[in-house]
Amino acid sequence: MRNPIGWAALTAFSLAFFAFIYAPLFVIIGYSFNSNPINMMIWESFTFDWYTGLLGLSDRSTDVSNRAAYVESTDLMLAALRTSLTVAMFTTTISTVIGTATAIALARYRFRGRGFYNGFMMLPMMMPDIVLGIGLLIFFVTIGMNLSILTIIIGHCTFLTSYVFIIVQARMAGLDPALEEASADLGASELTTLRKVLLPQLAPGIIGGALLAFVISMDDLVITYFVSGTGDTTLPVFIFGMIRRGVKPEINAIATLIILASVVIAALGLWLRSRKTD
Amino acid sequence: MTHLLEIRNARRTFITPEGGHLAALDGINLDVGANEFVTLLGPSGCGKTTLLRAISGFETLDSGTMTLGGADLTALPPFRRPVNTVFQSYALFGHMTVARNVGYALEVAGVGKASREAQVAEALEKVGLAGMGARRPSQLSGGQRQRVALARSIIAKPRLLLLDEPLSALDRNLRQQMQLELKTLQHALGIAFIFVTHDQEEALTMSDRIVVMRSGHIEQIGTPREIYRHPKNRFVAEFIGETNLFPVTIDRVDGETALARTAEGVEMHLPSAGRKPGEQVTAILRPADFNLGPTGIPGTVTRAVYLGSDLYLFVQPQAGGPEIRVISRDGAGFDEGAAVHLAHDPARVHVLEAA
Repeated sequence: MRNPIGWAALTAFSLAFFAFIYAPLFVIIGYSFNSNPINMMIWESFTFDWYTGLLGLSDRSTDVSNRAAYVESTDLMLAALRTSLTVAMFTTTISTVIGTATAIALARYRFRGRGFYNGFMMLPMMMPDIVLGIGLLIFFVTIGMNLSILTIIIGHCTFLTSYVFIIVQARMAGLDPALEEASADLGASELTTLRKVLLPQLAPGIIGGALLAFVISMDDLVITYFVSGTGDTTLPVFIFGMIRRGVKPEINAIATLIILASVVIAALGLWLRSRKTD
Repeated sequence: MTHLLEIRNARRTFITPEGGHLAALDGINLDVGANEFVTLLGPSGCGKTTLLRAISGFETLDSGTMTLGGADLTALPPFRRPVNTVFQSYALFGHMTVARNVGYALEVAGVGKASREAQVAEALEKVGLAGMGARRPSQLSGGQRQRVALARSIIAKPRLLLLDEPLSALDRNLRQQMQLELKTLQHALGIAFIFVTHDQEEALTMSDRIVVMRSGHIEQIGTPREIYRHPKNRFVAEFIGETNLFPVTIDRVDGETALARTAEGVEMHLPSAGRKPGEQVTAILRPADFNLGPTGIPGTVTRAVYLGSDLYLFVQPQAGGPEIRVISRDGAGFDEGAAVHLAHDPARVHVLEAA
């Protein structure tokens, strides 16, 4: 029989744990619907104004006195979102291809310096973001490369490749090497084996790695802050800039939309995983 | 007579983690006929799996030649060799249905869909899995997976099928059933099987010929009967089945039979052909070759194990020396502590030259 007191304590602990994690998110979501433009902590009434305002659909904003400035900042925010999405798509593609290829090569081929190579692939993940950011900045300046969307993509790829590598490698380690041998034994060339056996078997890992890379790229502030130029800003850097000028209700709306997008991506990932049975 | 597979002087050396050299294949010569069931038998590390992998192409030879139907195999990568393998882990593709697994060789070779489906159905039929094509390997039992692996490996009609301990994961009853089915299938297909196992019972049941291997070389090649009745040396004798070994000295030769004694004084009768008094040899007698009777080697039963139809006895000879293992059909009444006499037919004794 289970102990009722212990059970109640465990339930209470679990609830407290989840409350601790999710309460801040719900606070932000709640505030994003508060119509009070001066003090968001005092509830005035329910409104969608901050959302419609963000998307340029209504003229209500905290910058009532200067509507031109506000419209401009909406355009800036949408531009930042576009930059973020562009960066995330390119980085995800590049780091997924390189990370997967490296994981396969390190698992299947024996060569000199393999152990070192393995360590080097992990290192960017362990390195503090700020060190990586400064290092990249100094590097780009040294080789005379102007900071642009390109430097952001290169910067993100340097560490996201490691994330994809580690996730695919874990999947690779659990794979029976006899699967590839069986494919070769049945007449498939290496390329055919890669296409018909190895990649489908690794698919959950590759998709998981790609989603993670996408989310981290969308989310990264520190490294991007160093390697982005004046022209191209990503959404996190833009929000960081906004916050320095005071926390406005629009930020709650942006945050809520980002939470929504993250939930959708995470759900998509889980759904894709659940479809892959083996 | 030409053979399907001819292996000449095959050598393969591995470097151990300690930096030493390990000869996994130490000059192997082997011929396999076109419709033969050959078993590679030996303890782990004897090189049997390395030999199998060298034939399938997953292991390269340092030296030696290997031909299949007269064509050189050694330079061909695995996917160009006309042999197929049943892997120990089955290695089924989890992301494919059973039907696609079975039809994989045809799919890769570019065989059209209609022809492929017909051949897949036929192959599944052959292994007793008709109608299971739409399932996933994860939805099958161990025995069924084994059959899928088998169907997948025979669909391309190889001239030689390699089986790497395919039955080791099955329970005893299923294993025995599969042994007989494999033998039947091999006859029906009319192709050669090379079967790797460390289970001597399995080897004796299925094989046309058994290749007994130890540390990279072949100890003996022969039919199950030859290997069992006339082992060439102690290793083969002890590896195949239960054995009693008696190091004896020939006492006197008496027509057809010779009398010999162990150091402790246990008396044995053996065939006299070529024996001289004073000679030291090893006499081999299987447990089932002893009869419990009024005469013979006197001894005491130390342990009696009931095996169903048989009684397995450990008998301590009165004269001393190691216990003798005896299987008796009519062992009723011979409990532990019983005094018995072990008689034997001299013709059943196999003699090894070395003591």
